[in-house]
Amino acid sequence: MSFEPPLVRTAVQVNGFERKLEADARLTLLDALRDVIGLTGTKKGCDQGACGACTVLLEGRRVLSCLTLAAQCDGRQVTTIEALAGDDLHPLQAAFIRRDAFQCGFCTSGQIMSAVALLDEGRAGSDDEIREFMSGNLCRCGAYPNIVAAIRDVAGGRNHDA
Amino acid sequence: MREFAFVRPTNVEQAVELVTGDPDAAYLAGGTTLVDLMKDGVLRPRRVVDIARLPLREVIRTDHAVTVGALTTMEELAAEPVLAERAPVLREALLAGASTQLRNMATIGGNLLQRARCRYFRDPSVRACNKRSPGSGCAAVDESARMHAILGAGESCIALHASDLAVALVALDAVVHLQGTTGTRRVPLTEFYRVPGSTPERENVLEHGQLITAVEIPLPAAGTASGYLKIRDRASYEFALVSAAAVLEIRDGVIHDARMGLGGVGTIPWRAPTAESLLRGARPGTGVFRAAAASAIRDTFTVPGTAFKVALARRTIERALSTVSGGTP
Amino acid sequence: MTPEPRVIGLGLDRVDGPAKVTGAATYTMDVAVAGLLHAALVRSTFAIGTITSIETAQAAAAPGVVAVFTHHNAPRMKKPSWNLITPPPPVPLQDASVHHYGQYIAMVVAETPQQATAAAALIRVEHKAATASLSLDAPALKARSNPYFLDAKRGDVESALAAADITVDATFSTKANAHNPLGLFSTVAYWEGGRLVVHDSTQNPYLIRDSLAKVFSVSKDKVQVLVPYVGGAFGAGLRLWQHVILTAMAARAVGRPVKTVLTRPQMFTGIGHRPATIQRMRIGALRDGTITAIDHEATSTAAKVANVLYPVTLSTPATYRCDNVRGRDRQVRLDIPSPAHMRGPGEAEGNFALETALDEVAYAIGMDPIDLRMRNYAKVHPQTGLAWSSKALDECYRQGAERFGWADRTPRPRSMRDGHWLVGYGMAGVTYGHFQAKCHASLTVRDDGTVLVRSGATDIGQGTYTVITQVAADGLGLDPANVRFELGDTDLPRAPQAGGSGLATALSNAVRDATVNAIAALLSLASADHASPLHGCSARDVVVAGGRIHRKDDASRSETYGAILTRNGRSELTVQGSSAPSRAETGVLLGSLAVSRMGRAGRRLVEATHAIAPAGAFAAHFVEVRVDPLLGRLRVKRMVSAVDAGQVLNEKLARSQIVGGIVGGIGQALFEEITTDEGSGRVSNATLADYLVPVNADVPDIDVVFVGEPDSDNAVGVKGIGEIGLVGVAAAIGNAVHHATGKRLRSLPFTITELMD
Repeated sequence: MSFEPPLVRTAVQVNGFERKLEADARLTLLDALRDVIGLTGTKKGCDQGACGACTVLLEGRRVLSCLTLAAQCDGRQVTTIEALAGDDLHPLQAAFIRRDAFQCGFCTSGQIMSAVALLDEGRAGSDDEIREFMSGNLCRCGAYPNIVAAIRDVAGGRNHDA
Repeated sequence: MREFAFVRPTNVEQAVELVTGDPDAAYLAGGTTLVDLMKDGVLRPRRVVDIARLPLREVIRTDHAVTVGALTTMEELAAEPVLAERAPVLREALLAGASTQLRNMATIGGNLLQRARCRYFRDPSVRACNKRSPGSGCAAVDESARMHAILGAGESCIALHASDLAVALVALDAVVHLQGTTGTRRVPLTEFYRVPGSTPERENVLEHGQLITAVEIPLPAAGTASGYLKIRDRASYEFALVSAAAVLEIRDGVIHDARMGLGGVGTIPWRAPTAESLLRGARPGTGVFRAAAASAIRDTFTVPGTAFKVALARRTIERALSTVSGGTP
Repeated sequence: MTPEPRVIGLGLDRVDGPAKVTGAATYTMDVAVAGLLHAALVRSTFAIGTITSIETAQAAAAPGVVAVFTHHNAPRMKKPSWNLITPPPPVPLQDASVHHYGQYIAMVVAETPQQATAAAALIRVEHKAATASLSLDAPALKARSNPYFLDAKRGDVESALAAADITVDATFSTKANAHNPLGLFSTVAYWEGGRLVVHDSTQNPYLIRDSLAKVFSVSKDKVQVLVPYVGGAFGAGLRLWQHVILTAMAARAVGRPVKTVLTRPQMFTGIGHRPATIQRMRIGALRDGTITAIDHEATSTAAKVANVLYPVTLSTPATYRCDNVRGRDRQVRLDIPSPAHMRGPGEAEGNFALETALDEVAYAIGMDPIDLRMRNYAKVHPQTGLAWSSKALDECYRQGAERFGWADRTPRPRSMRDGHWLVGYGMAGVTYGHFQAKCHASLTVRDDGTVLVRSGATDIGQGTYTVITQVAADGLGLDPANVRFELGDTDLPRAPQAGGSGLATALSNAVRDATVNAIAALLSLASADHASPLHGCSARDVVVAGGRIHRKDDASRSETYGAILTRNGRSELTVQGSSAPSRAETGVLLGSLAVSRMGRAGRRLVEATHAIAPAGAFAAHFVEVRVDPLLGRLRVKRMVSAVDAGQVLNEKLARSQIVGGIVGGIGQALFEEITTDEGSGRVSNATLADYLVPVNADVPDIDVVFVGEPDSDNAVGVKGIGEIGLVGVAAAIGNAVHHATGKRLRSLPFTITELMD
């Protein structure tokens, strides 16, 4: 009956720092970030891949960290909400505050990480496009119109720069 | 989640051997089905074989087909320019599925093998599920199931195959490439899935350990119109109540070729050959679309919760045909 | 000195914004303490019956497991105090009986969450189930009449209905909804030498503190509840739930801190839900639009295991001027998990029936729905005849209609179209009740000119951190950057729950009181001080601005708070503030009942008191929908909501709160329904992939406008707006669907099946 599989050694680049884990293979990237590495900005809203609160960037692409095993991320780059701000807030973080794009704030890390990727994907061309491609991030407080406005602000700024 | 060993083989042959030789082993690609169902306690592998880094990620285009490595993600495939040019139905179906985050994870091979969204299948506290525990019965049939199949369904199982992608692929006559320890073979997707019958636990023709390595997608002839219409309660991020993939080649006002895939209705991604033969040779119009729709949705098995899908599916087909053929109903 | 613009009302950014956008805000599930253990809960898989055996040896032997608790070995605990509004469900793991699907029957505590969850799956349970009553239409159910003693009536409804030119008699139903805050409810508990510290996802930390003190037989000052941030709650955090008790129990038993994070499926059974209702609404009217009778009867579900105060018809008698009104509630007790208050509890359901039926009346007599509402406008509180403390619902109708372009509506159903889509305009009005509870705050002025305000309230996203900072800054003439507000801690002055749309009123007035007391205290130092430019001044002789107290007679003579403190050898000064509901609030409730019981004599008696009827917020929602009649698709295209919110404390945040409520209303109208299996009561859609809430693509632009004046019943002039955004949305959407399609939908949520032609 006793089945004790070996711990898995994983080295993940989290926000530019290498993090070595020797962990239960069941450990998800989400739990590794929150419980082992101590980066609790990434949130657990369902742990079933349905809400988007745990969105992080893996190799620059947005993924759900709750359905990603930490072991799958060996040698990979992971970016979380904690990495966005330098001395100043990231433009999306500032826009989220200015547009009041959150209330309880629980889904916010996931919304912002998703929005960072959305802009990179070039999918902020219109409000409808933003709405569609932000629909994987639930917000129960109902801040959606303000989230759209915040992303529009930053996308518009980028277009001006271009 | 039960404990498991995690291994990452370095080539396809090694991966196939590992899983074939261990009845408790499972492939892990994007994880969106496997990890989810392992958490729910529905899938309980003792060995998880991570194949995500195997070299099965190429997209090769010829004049007549696109061959997609099975580990290509849904987002990667959706971004292939050839889809927008030659097979909009495929691009639309890809982008109608799940969310960007999930599409960045989910692979083409994994998408085709996704498990049923049935909440009775996914909850081990429910005893009766023929798919999970063969011979135990079907709890979904007895309850007010709504997100369930009406075609290819029966008392033994009404679980839906919820892939949007597969619906478009069956309409495009895609072929899957399989690799096992004894060699490789090619199976048309229309012959890949099995309706539940008396063995709902068998969802496709794969033997344990066989791996999908690629999907070959014939490209419709130039000038073919296609589109994917997905009906759901929410405007986005929801499985289909009903969906239709329509591929129409219209020459000189006559439907030269027609192919239809249906989603949200079948225990497998559903192809509608009788509707196609009605359409071929006809002039596009409400009458023939309606007849095709009626012929596509026949011999249904409904429970009170799914009865609405009969009319909805027919209307969805009608609208999809009308939109793709460029008309307005 | 020129008066500075008031800080109250300004649309300042959230003060907790930087913490929330950087991931630094610490929610309960983020709390890490040394030696933390993790719990997993096992739930019953049947509705009612007895556990005959529970096998835990395998789980106990699993890797990392520290303890397994069942009813066999769980410590005995006392019942929390009974409370009508938030009655506690029973203490868990005390016996073998099961009262609903999802009841906790075992708890595993282990070193890691993965180990706890895996071990919990190894527990084997045998049970004997009895036949459960699970839904409103279950046979042979007895409904209890007037279960809350709040039924109200005036006049003679039956005679008026008989004499009416037209009558509408319709049955409405609403389904059970799940709160589903994104934040999984979590508890972290640890004991330090007989003292219990609990981090919890609650809207009412004092209730948790007091209840846990009772359960564990310790004094209240030996329990501290901490909740700086909550990942949404919507009413689910208004009660003491069993997982909180279990976490504290386990922490005491194993002598280490324990964390419990509910799973999403557990969120459907463990923290309440909006109960289902069936309602009958009868309205009588004259051809000229005079409503002569309203008879509202509502039956809602409650758990057998714990009652809940859940009146559905409460607002109906207070909504329109009508001589003959009856509001009657009935309650059916089922073998289900306990319902809880969810944003607009009862109000949302009752309003759906009333405002839909009113639209039916408008069509029956061929009158514009707004004209009909204005024709029956309640200029005074219609049940008692008392003057409202404020009411600008007429302005809500007028300005809302104008911004929406209501005049462009062609009234005939199916008369507006856009390609495949039928277009419909609909509206609904909302009269939301007033609620206020006692509240305390402390305020510390420091010699560096900064101010610390403290009160044990919670900010579940409504913006309390920010608006209270503004209220304090306003009262002291300070830049809000110099004010810090601390909350979410039962060691701070006692505040009421964040619920009932009542916290902003209670807390802003308590803090306003504290600012007045602070100025008085500073002034008493300065006034006696010959060296102060404020020597001899009393409160009426001064104004505050720019962080200074100025003489009214000579604004150039002023002094900073810091200077006053320093000269008096003080580094800081702390004062208290408090607020309490006006007597008028109880007066209206008693008055309503007096009219109900004594008829016209009662009404004359109440009117003779010349009291004021404190008003909650009022609103009018306007919505444009698109319906694709072939495929049954329904989309909300745009919305305008006009809200009489009294004194708005922060225009940006208030708008967000209304928008958020509206999004909840869209969910209630279009998607939300908890489905359960016959027999077992299992929730068959207990995930966020299966229980649908609105996504970004479902929500259009929403235009919110605030109208009205500060309310006269409280010093700050506030009205609570936490819930009014949601209430009325379902009726407005349903009325728009009728306009688009000609179909009258009386059951929530609206489904594709009903919408297909």
